Amino acid sequence: MSVWGAVAGGFVGTLVLTTALRAAGELGLTRMDLPFLLGTIVTSDRSRAKALGYAMHFAAGLLFALIYFGIFAAIGHSGWLLGALFGLLHGLFAGTALVNVLLPVVHPRMGTPFSAAADRPLLEAPGFMMLNYGRRTPLATILAHIAYGTIVGGFVSLAS
Amino acid sequence: MPLREYAAIGDGRTSAFVAGDGSLEWLCLPDLDSPSIFAAVLDAETGGSFSFAPEQPFATERRYLPDTNVLETTFETATGSVRVTDAMLLPDGGLVPTRELARRVEGLSGEVPMRWRVEPRFHYGKRTPRIGRREGTPVATAGGDALAVSSWAAGAPVLGDGSIGGSFVSTAGSAALVVLSSAHREPLVLPSRADAESRLSSTISFWRQWSADRTYRGPWRDAVIRSALVLKLLIHSPSGAIAAAGTASLPEQIGGERNWDYRFCWVRDSAFTLHALMQLGCPHEGESYFWWLLHASQLTHPRLRVLYRLNGSERTPESTLPLSGYRGSEPVRIGNGAGGQEQLDVYGDLMQTAWLYATAADGLDADTARRLAEIADLVCEIWRLPDSGIWEVRSEPLHFTHSKIMCWVALDRAVRLAERGLIPRAQMSRWRAEAEEVRGFIEELCWSEEARSYTRAAGSRELDASLLLGALMDYPSERDPGLSTTISALRRELGSGPLLDRYSGEDGVEGKEGAFLCCSFWLADALARAGRVDEAAELTEQLIGLANDVGLYAEEIDQGSGAFLGNLPQGLVHLALINAAVSIGEAQR
Repeated sequence: MSVWGAVAGGFVGTLVLTTALRAAGELGLTRMDLPFLLGTIVTSDRSRAKALGYAMHFAAGLLFALIYFGIFAAIGHSGWLLGALFGLLHGLFAGTALVNVLLPVVHPRMGTPFSAAADRPLLEAPGFMMLNYGRRTPLATILAHIAYGTIVGGFVSLAS
Repeated sequence: MPLREYAAIGDGRTSAFVAGDGSLEWLCLPDLDSPSIFAAVLDAETGGSFSFAPEQPFATERRYLPDTNVLETTFETATGSVRVTDAMLLPDGGLVPTRELARRVEGLSGEVPMRWRVEPRFHYGKRTPRIGRREGTPVATAGGDALAVSSWAAGAPVLGDGSIGGSFVSTAGSAALVVLSSAHREPLVLPSRADAESRLSSTISFWRQWSADRTYRGPWRDAVIRSALVLKLLIHSPSGAIAAAGTASLPEQIGGERNWDYRFCWVRDSAFTLHALMQLGCPHEGESYFWWLLHASQLTHPRLRVLYRLNGSERTPESTLPLSGYRGSEPVRIGNGAGGQEQLDVYGDLMQTAWLYATAADGLDADTARRLAEIADLVCEIWRLPDSGIWEVRSEPLHFTHSKIMCWVALDRAVRLAERGLIPRAQMSRWRAEAEEVRGFIEELCWSEEARSYTRAAGSRELDASLLLGALMDYPSERDPGLSTTISALRRELGSGPLLDRYSGEDGVEGKEGAFLCCSFWLADALARAGRVDEAAELTEQLIGLANDVGLYAEEIDQGSGAFLGNLPQGLVHLALINAAVSIGEAQR
């Protein structure tokens, strides 16, 4: 098992995840835009937000790949199938807690269940399983994360 | 609602159309050529609308706030009066909605019960939205699109089956605000009242400053500036392309099938566009437009498409929608099949545009110069072919006189550019010789001694108002210098008061259309250039009186009733107005 495999898998996996979600957006399946959501944490400029958001998303992708690697190392087993399972859990976590609950808490421009449309623009909150961004959002998100996990697991395994 | 009753507001990306009764009945999102969210003008049942009016009988008076694209409608009722200000808000640099439309209600006197209702129907009415709330704000969603309806002091929003609405009593001195903010393939941004009010103020300021920056100082300045504001609405700000009109499928004949989508950019309009933008003092818009035109036509070079999408794409497939159409005028078409036609006049339009640009900028880059020379070479090859002509007839191609004149223009401008050293000179003598051949063809085959006029097509006796463009493009007629007798023949045979039909004869489409307003302004322009300045000024005065209450024109006008017909606001009509005013102003000096 090699940490470099996890880094490479994290990079390629994030590339695929981002591309898949962008394609889902273009196909009208979802309004979720992760780079936009992440970038607007630090800037209200749309263009800059998207550029920064892509960088932040890649950093997050690498971080999660290292977490995957840590779990693989702890249980002494890795592989694309296990990675896919992690990806499924990761996708569910993203939809239920990470983007739904934690992101609104730290996002200065996103509404929460406790905020009212007060003195500044608020980004539409994602809602449970990000369903606010379209009914097919959970499907698109989970499939994209399964692809991510499969790639990370596969790369870690190949680099063993 | 008569088409004359519609006024347009916009933000340089899309336009919304507000009827005289305060109902917003056409809006495409996120761009002008995107699917509609409100299309009640084409189908009151399923198209969707945003109504906003007193609950009791009322009379209205409208105007644009001076020198802006912000509409103000005053409702007078038995119990009081209110003023509704409608605007599409311009972004102010912060995190703002993708598109934002504000309707602000001010109580002027008494008490007026008001009711508003938003019925969004995404994708030309095909998708009924899901209605819900986000942080208390009502939203409508469908697939990748969403619309938030934020309201302040406009009554508690009531969420219905596919609608969001409210009611309140407007009292003197009160102010209510309803803002639609849309998102496309991304999360919604929900505005605060303070920010939306601030953007409304800055939007008004922007339009006033933009109008103040225009350098036109000639006659009919109000009408010219209104036309300039219309053009600015039709300019697709990301690319510089200019849509021919803001609507689709509004009929040229009530109940007829002449219903076309005009939300594209026609090469045919390019020379008029650049000329008008230069006369108005819009160098940035002119430059953007020229470069967009060259960029869009790059893929098909040296051939030109008749029209392009606003993003430069050449794909404009035509299809029909399951909407009932304006007053039953079916089919409702989107896309435009004319995109695939062969129209020779576009080469002349592009070369004239290049001539105007190059002489103003005093130069062209080497790549553009080479491309223009290659286009002139192509014209030498194809000018003998029949085509569908400027009016895009759907009957058999003909040797249209106007198309031949524009082929002559293409070659003549190529020679002029080469003589100035602005494009390569290698083929200059060939272009000159071919231009003479084109002129010989026109003089020999496209003239009617009986009518004392050039004709619609070679060997035909029919007339065509597009011949007026020969005068506007400085075609050097041997038979009719200044096209003086042709102008008289056109007025005699196609005219009715200040109005002109486009042509006599068949065009391959059922039914009859109204008088084409741009032709009347071309006539005024041609009269001025022929030295008949008083006649031109009198005609222009009459034509300006035919605009609707806020200064807009549709494509056509019914000769009998004066009703508007066709899409609106029609860019070509407003371009022709500007150019005619400029010509008359120059002739009067």
